[in-house]
Amino acid sequence: MQSWRRKSLWLALSASWLLILLRVFPVLRLAEPARRQAGAPQGWPRWLDAELLQSFSQPGELLEDGPQPPQAPRGGSCYRGACFDASRCRGGGLKVFVYPAVGPISETPRKVLTSIEGSRYHTASAAEACLLILVLSPDTPAGECHPELPQWDGGKNHLVLSLHPAPCLRIFQLGQAMVAEASPTMDTFRPGFDVALPLLPEAHPLRGGALGQLQQHSPLPGVALIAMAEERGGWRTVGTNFSACPWDGRCEQDHGPKQTHPRATLPNATFCLIPGRNPDALHFLQALQAGCIPVLLSPRWELPFSEVIDWTKAAVVADERLPLQVLAALQEMPLTRVLALRQQAQFLWDAYFSSVEKVIHTTLEIIQDRVSGASAHPSLLWNSPPGALLALSTFSTSPSDFPFYHLQQGSRPLGRFSALIWVGALGQPPLKLIQAVAGAQHCAQILVLWSSKKPPPPRWPETAVPLTVLDGHRKASDRFLPYSAISTDAILSLDAHSSLSTSEVDFAFMVWQSFPERMVGFLTWSHFWDETQGGWGYTGERANEFSMVLTSAAFYHRYYHTLFTHSLPKALRTLADESPPCVEVLMNFLVAAVTKLPPIKVPYGPWHQEAKPPLVPGSPRLRSEPRPAAQDCINQMAAGFGHMPLVSSRLRLDPVLFKDPVSVLRKKYRSLEKP
Amino acid sequence: MRGALGVRPPSPVACPGLPPLVPALPAQRWRPGAPRHPTRAAVARAPRHEPVTKRGAQPEAAVAEECEEEAVGVIMCASVKYNIRGPALIPRMKTKHRIYYITLFSIVLLGLIATGMFQFWPHSIESSGDWSVEKRSVRDVPLVRLPADSPVPERGDLSCRMHTCFDVYRCGFNPKNKIKVYIYPLKKYVGEAGVPVSSTISREYNELLTAISDSDYYTDDVTRACLFVPSIDLLNQNSLRVKETAQALAQLSRWDRGTNHLLFNMLPGGPPDYNTALDVPRDRALLAGGGFSTWTYRQGYDVSIPVYSPLSAEVDLPEKGPGPRRYFLLSSQVALHPEYREDLAALQARHGEAVLVLDKCSNLSEGVPAARRRCHQQQAFDYPQVLQEATFCMVLRGARLGQAVLSDVLRAGCVPVIIADSYVLPFSEVLDWKRASVVVPEEKMSDVYSILQSIPRRQIEEMQRQARWFWEAYFQSIKAIALATLQIINDRIYPYAAISYEDWNDPPAVKWGSVSNPLFLPLIPPQSQGFTAIVLTYDRVESLFRVITEVSKVPSLSKLLVVWNNQNKNPPEDSLWPKIRVPLKVVRTAENKLSNRFFPYDEIETEAVLAIDDDIIMLTSDELQFGYEVWREFPDRLVGYPGRLHLWDHEMNKWKYESEWTNEVSMVLTGAAFYHKYFNYLYTYKMPGDIKNWVDAHMNCEDIAMNFLVANVTGKAVIKVTPRKKFKCPECTAIDGLSLDQTHMVERSPA
Repeated sequence: MQSWRRKSLWLALSASWLLILLRVFPVLRLAEPARRQAGAPQGWPRWLDAELLQSFSQPGELLEDGPQPPQAPRGGSCYRGACFDASRCRGGGLKVFVYPAVGPISETPRKVLTSIEGSRYHTASAAEACLLILVLSPDTPAGECHPELPQWDGGKNHLVLSLHPAPCLRIFQLGQAMVAEASPTMDTFRPGFDVALPLLPEAHPLRGGALGQLQQHSPLPGVALIAMAEERGGWRTVGTNFSACPWDGRCEQDHGPKQTHPRATLPNATFCLIPGRNPDALHFLQALQAGCIPVLLSPRWELPFSEVIDWTKAAVVADERLPLQVLAALQEMPLTRVLALRQQAQFLWDAYFSSVEKVIHTTLEIIQDRVSGASAHPSLLWNSPPGALLALSTFSTSPSDFPFYHLQQGSRPLGRFSALIWVGALGQPPLKLIQAVAGAQHCAQILVLWSSKKPPPPRWPETAVPLTVLDGHRKASDRFLPYSAISTDAILSLDAHSSLSTSEVDFAFMVWQSFPERMVGFLTWSHFWDETQGGWGYTGERANEFSMVLTSAAFYHRYYHTLFTHSLPKALRTLADESPPCVEVLMNFLVAAVTKLPPIKVPYGPWHQEAKPPLVPGSPRLRSEPRPAAQDCINQMAAGFGHMPLVSSRLRLDPVLFKDPVSVLRKKYRSLEKP
Repeated sequence: MRGALGVRPPSPVACPGLPPLVPALPAQRWRPGAPRHPTRAAVARAPRHEPVTKRGAQPEAAVAEECEEEAVGVIMCASVKYNIRGPALIPRMKTKHRIYYITLFSIVLLGLIATGMFQFWPHSIESSGDWSVEKRSVRDVPLVRLPADSPVPERGDLSCRMHTCFDVYRCGFNPKNKIKVYIYPLKKYVGEAGVPVSSTISREYNELLTAISDSDYYTDDVTRACLFVPSIDLLNQNSLRVKETAQALAQLSRWDRGTNHLLFNMLPGGPPDYNTALDVPRDRALLAGGGFSTWTYRQGYDVSIPVYSPLSAEVDLPEKGPGPRRYFLLSSQVALHPEYREDLAALQARHGEAVLVLDKCSNLSEGVPAARRRCHQQQAFDYPQVLQEATFCMVLRGARLGQAVLSDVLRAGCVPVIIADSYVLPFSEVLDWKRASVVVPEEKMSDVYSILQSIPRRQIEEMQRQARWFWEAYFQSIKAIALATLQIINDRIYPYAAISYEDWNDPPAVKWGSVSNPLFLPLIPPQSQGFTAIVLTYDRVESLFRVITEVSKVPSLSKLLVVWNNQNKNPPEDSLWPKIRVPLKVVRTAENKLSNRFFPYDEIETEAVLAIDDDIIMLTSDELQFGYEVWREFPDRLVGYPGRLHLWDHEMNKWKYESEWTNEVSMVLTGAAFYHKYFNYLYTYKMPGDIKNWVDAHMNCEDIAMNFLVANVTGKAVIKVTPRKKFKCPECTAIDGLSLDQTHMVERSPA
């Protein structure tokens, strides 16, 4: 019994000690890491006396930090306010004078001069200009860098412009002049004062320029993910399953399947890697043109027009020191962002870089924005189609006034329209038309532009909407002047001899509200390439496609009046004044160049056509005969634009139940089918 | 064929259901400055802390708790029970043994207590340590004596850029694309003579470090950090000794010429010349400074931050809507250079009532702090309330370029007129100040009135709204300032994950109201590319073959994809399929789901996709070809044949669905519709809510889901192409489920 008891006691004792040891050892083992873990989630401590801490500034200190006299601009350091006297531009806006070329100059500076002279800011008199531009030529010998400039005045209000690296820029005493230089290095660039230009290839076109290569929104399947800019100017595409660092010489062996296209000047890939050295800036534009997303590896140069263009939307600026990370990020980039970057890169190419003229006009527009201060282009206008060159800030600075930004703004155009009836030289008062239009549901006002030689009738019919008579100046382009009497976003442009029914107007306006940036018309023309004449022609013949709508009956945004009057070169407008059909062509060119989309055709009752002879500019019978000068305007305009902007469409928009086999009474626009 | 098609012009009456509205995924939007919900890590951590502290104070109470927690503890619980039962046996034993037992048990008990003590020993050290770190006073921080000859960093390098002076390798690969920020522990630095280098820490700097510590950026592991924030308070240069502070910086454990160190400063320079950047030599350290000028600011490297206004926390200033206010222009600063005072007086003389120039009050009444009172002649005004009475408010340079008044002005919804040449505005790297302020050169100060007068009223209202939004998002607290600074640096390091201009600048109302069409570039895809037809089928082979034969006649068809949704039956053999001129691929699916129709198959090589049911045989090849042509002109829309309309049913108070002949169309059936293949990607991966699961579970309404999705991301209506024959579609019967589905989804589409 005793021994059993002792045994059990010993057992109990040893069991207890075992337990104790078991308990202790793990604790001993855990003690060390436990300490570290407890420290892990610490963070910044909450001080007991945090409430008692003093503020970083004494109560009065922020108010009275000792007044100081305004500082004079220091030499060499310029920014806009100090070195550029914007008040000289206040009265009539920016006026630009360019020093004429001295002696023979090469191709590119000549294009620059032509572009500046074609700008709407150009003035021939140095006295009234507030910005004087000196164009440096890359081939000026270093000895002749100091031309005699009477207005130089220490460089004040001067812009020294060079599209190519000019040796003079390094030697020249710039003084207080601004510098617009291609791909300036970040160290010498003065943000907000200098302008960074793109590095353009030698043979960059003056106008128009090559269109972007992007034909579809999403990348083609199977296209290489990455193209790498090569030193000799070509591109090397790298397959999608490469391992690492294609730009790093050390990993040369690790390349996946690679193809080299030494001759391919434009890369065919989703991303284009561009090293950060200065000469590689040339690749940048190629990538933009190709719709290939530029991936800039630690660029040492300022991106072009960085003052206004938000490059984060179109390019990726990555650190070349993190190859693996950059590649991983590119491979895993969500499709949504890839799409957005591609489209934005392409848009920027088309809007600002595709021609010398666009580059120069963008430069002037940036300076104009600095001058105008609060009425400068908002960032949205610079960074979404159609771009700031086509969205004039003189029209408005509020994006929702333009036809292009309603989606982004969550706004919609005004729900009324103004009918603008043009009464030409021999026109009669269009009484019937006025009645038809005034009866339309959304008509806000009727404006009669009286360009006839006869005096306007003293009395006009009573209408439900106000009727105003404007006096025209007998010029064909008068009808597109931005009349201040136009109070609505939409304009229904009409000729005195147009014939329309109320139903047609109502429906066309509904359609226009969905497409406020396009022209919505009833009668159409189409353009074609005439092999025999070697030029463009256009016809009013009924065809399966069309590219223009007649402004004798069309809805469009009133902004196009401003654009027509203020942005088109004077030469084109003079040309258009010579014949009325030319004005219509020009308006269609303008809208197509802005939207890059065809106009929209809506149904037009066939019974109208009997009422008036169709306006056929070049009927097939006449085509073989030599065209009269007025008919040739389409070719001159294509030359003026630098390319043919018109886009063809093959469809017409009808009301939903149009010609459907249901009772006419159920249809909303029932008189569209029968008069 | 009649080349006619219907269009539904989106009228306000017909449109509310397809809110043109909100991008598909608004939930993930980051709104800087808005109070962010505590991160998961912080939530998980907070309750842990408390028990640790308690345990340290009362170790016994913690035993039971511990038993439940740890596996080892279970054994101990058993032993405790054993011991409790033990004493009950004692009276039954002999005295001799009783002593023996008592000794034995006391030994065991002591052992257990010792174990218990030992177990919690390290914890109690830790917790007491915790306690002192957690709740200790600022006065108790360790003291560091700086030898007089300890090294001083070099002056800031003006040519520093991210790719030259910043060590990006420290940031390494990070799947979340978030930098890791380490904060040095607080120490008190004294010079050789024992004189403190600066006041230990200010309230604002403490708040700033707390905000960083509470954010996602924080790490306490110095080895993993990519950015280091010293706990040396540099906010106000006047309250520190420049050389000694620099020495204190130089001896930080990871200083390394200041690489990847971020210093915060709001009041730089000192009398008499007031430098525009912190005078403390800092070598390569990044400086987040308030009051940079273009000469000291290293573009793309430094960050310009606002000067925090302590009034932000003190005074409650409710938002006041935009619109014209009593005074057109107001100047509220008190310490102005006499030249400016003269200019202001001249302005006031010329424009009378519209301009109000305030100054210090000469005789302050009953205990109102000077900072809260301004006077004009004998009239006294409450500050900052008076700012809400003005449309434009002057922000003139003082000795320093950065002025705290900017923050007050923004808060009042007053448009700041900034007259401080070469001043780098706060966060100017990301914020578009043109939208919220007017910058006037100093020499144009006398023209300021006419400059402001030329701004249209609508734009002024927009600026007022924008000013208030900037304050709410980036100025209102030290935390907002700290987080915006870190976000800017983060965006530089991970540019491909950077947040956009719109995210920084658009006020919430604009963000919700706007639609950014994912296919915004006007493009007409080339006709040569053609389209891919996708036929979803289960087992109607005969009808399927007829559809294939019909569709293959369309000239622009480039590929035909049959999605075989029947897992129980194999598709017919190759030889049985109709012979067509384009490649035909059969995809077998893993599950019979309707969503399979909208999967972005790799086989789809064209942008245009024609979804067609296996029983749609009434469409001629001309009609399909025309449909494709129409799609080319509207690549961002759904182009279909049978149309549907949604309507608000006032009686039932929910959406209903109309298929009968109507004058409007808001949807097209995907039984025969062209669309961009990108929408397949969106449908499969980005569909909001659980719509996709609902569709798969109910085997219906996938077409409505697709219509909603496209309308939601593009803000555009569908295009209906009129077919020659009337459409008979099998789906037209399931009206009940459809209407249910619509309410279901409308709830989900944030209108």
